[in-house]
Amino acid sequence: MRQTGAAGKTSRMSVAAAEPSDSKHATTGALLDVRDLCVSFRDDAGWVPMLNNVAFQVNRGETVGIVGESGCGKSLTALSIMGLLPRRGCLRTGGIVFDGCDIAGLGERGMRQVRGRQIGMVFQEPMSALDPVFTVGDQIAETVRTHFQVSPREAKERAVEALASVRIPAPAACATLYPMNLSGGMRQRVMIAMALVCEPKLLIADEPTTALDVTIQAQIMELLLELGRRTGTALLFITHNLALIAESCERTLTMYAGEVVEDGSVEAMLNRPLHPYTAGLLASLPGRRAPKSRLSSIPGRVPSPRDMPAGCRFGPRCTFATAICQEPQRLRAVDNRRVRCARAVELVLAGAGG
Amino acid sequence: MSEARSVGPILTVENLEIAFPGRRRGQVIQAVDNVSFTVRQGETFGIIGESGSGKTTVGRALVCLIRPTAGRIRHFGEDPFALPAKALRRHRRGYQIIFQDPNAALDPRMTILQSVREPLDVAGAGTRRERQRKALEALDHVALGPEMAARYPHEISGGQKQRANIARALVLEPRLVVCDEVVAALDVSIQAEMLNLFADLQRDFHLTYVFITHDLRVVAHISDRVAVMYFGKIVELGPATGLMNAPLHPYTKALLSAEPEPVPAHMRNRGRIVLQGEVPSPLDPPTGCRFHTRCPLAQPLCAQRDPEWRELAPGRLVACHFAKTPN
Repeated sequence: MRQTGAAGKTSRMSVAAAEPSDSKHATTGALLDVRDLCVSFRDDAGWVPMLNNVAFQVNRGETVGIVGESGCGKSLTALSIMGLLPRRGCLRTGGIVFDGCDIAGLGERGMRQVRGRQIGMVFQEPMSALDPVFTVGDQIAETVRTHFQVSPREAKERAVEALASVRIPAPAACATLYPMNLSGGMRQRVMIAMALVCEPKLLIADEPTTALDVTIQAQIMELLLELGRRTGTALLFITHNLALIAESCERTLTMYAGEVVEDGSVEAMLNRPLHPYTAGLLASLPGRRAPKSRLSSIPGRVPSPRDMPAGCRFGPRCTFATAICQEPQRLRAVDNRRVRCARAVELVLAGAGG
Repeated sequence: MSEARSVGPILTVENLEIAFPGRRRGQVIQAVDNVSFTVRQGETFGIIGESGSGKTTVGRALVCLIRPTAGRIRHFGEDPFALPAKALRRHRRGYQIIFQDPNAALDPRMTILQSVREPLDVAGAGTRRERQRKALEALDHVALGPEMAARYPHEISGGQKQRANIARALVLEPRLVVCDEVVAALDVSIQAEMLNLFADLQRDFHLTYVFITHDLRVVAHISDRVAVMYFGKIVELGPATGLMNAPLHPYTKALLSAEPEPVPAHMRNRGRIVLQGEVPSPLDPPTGCRFHTRCPLAQPLCAQRDPEWRELAPGRLVACHFAKTPN
């Protein structure tokens, strides 16, 4: 590992068991507080646990990234927060406290007041999130009228303003177009306009730029971050792209096999990841620095939720696994970070750019 | 990669043009416009560009899936499109393509072994038993064991499916493989594994790759030389390291700076160029330099005259009126 000032600081680590979540959360004024969220789906054989005690917080105005491979529970976490899980064959326990109110206990009716108004969401595939038979102006206006007592005309005006705020040229003309008339980047701008028109306190963006080209991705990310800063909206940003998180977020959560395995500031994670999984993700990125070199990859695959390892869930793929990893791992506090790895402190894992 | 090979380049593309008919009568969409390059035997030639840049169309033409509207493609000096149909079928076995979506490329009703053996069956090479053995060998090269061979596509992961597709392309012992966004649909850790596999196969089978991708990191990692495409044209071409470290064309510069870097803030390159606007409509192409509508350095000249190819340093070509010689 590189010896930099930052690295020197992090090497003197204090370890403490994480406090039980309830005592800690009562005092903090986090905007979103997810407490021991568990989600199971039913299949022919019985209940299959998909998320296991997912707990994290998002502060007001904060930008938090969730990273992990496909099948680790990132999107499921987002859908749970939004109350968008299927009604049948799905079991959710744990608390989701948003702005002081436990929204996990709200019914469908209550959630409708929250969804869109308090928490906005942008999905990966804008074409499937937009209705093909209505103009984008109508769709944004509908969102406005659902949450505010305004006249149709004012709703329409607000829709055009929203389109202007995401820097769509000729917003009034754009409002009269159908989704099929727009390019992928434009559709994603429309989605962002729709999500932000009610000025939510939290915006969940699930892979918002994955389907876009890199120059358009840069435009959309700049837009999202700027709008977030201007309106004070907190951003929960889900992606498999660690590089994107490195550039845009203040804090990251690494998820693996339905669990949070690392939580801390992006800078600290990049300098010295605590969990071998985060380190593995960082190391497998091809780069410009060593072309043609052998890339390090994480052997194996994310375990099936039906067949979880008994001990550390990452254990079978981890090059650092020892006897202690045969036991289930707790999420422990290390300095201002949290990690689900018994060896986190003794291991000094290589960060990025080393 | 020595230029002094007696055989000459494996692939020569001269003034390639490909146009598709538009929806209305007489409307023409120029997907590829005057593209020229050569690929040397044993190298990895990267083609990078955004969607709509024509990179996939070029890739398909290279393996004779699309007939060029104008210009020439030569494999070892020979024009495959001049061959009679039967000879072309035999010829193209040496020039394979692997597609982006591993699901769409495999028949859901065939086992993996059947899919991999199919090209051999079509080619009618050897006895059935020999073909079976060859297919199993090909699967072995991509680290898929015999227990995988009997499975159907829905029973295996995305990475394994892409391995099966690679085996399928390799089974006819091609010289050149066009890889069209082959790692785009995979998670980073699987992507790393695949890039390692591509490197191994290249070494073991003396393959030449044309690697088409929108991912700069991937192209920088795997390529010897890189062509940057924008709106149907190559705007810059050069050795991968030179091009990545000191890009000449403003579009290449913008692409590189748009790519996020996974490094701590103090190590990050500041001064990002965020391009405004989007790729123009192919029905209404800009005059002059195709990039001038989004170029931060555009001058009046750019809208009037199409820039010529200039070789600013050995092997480094660029199509920009204002590109300067690298130091």
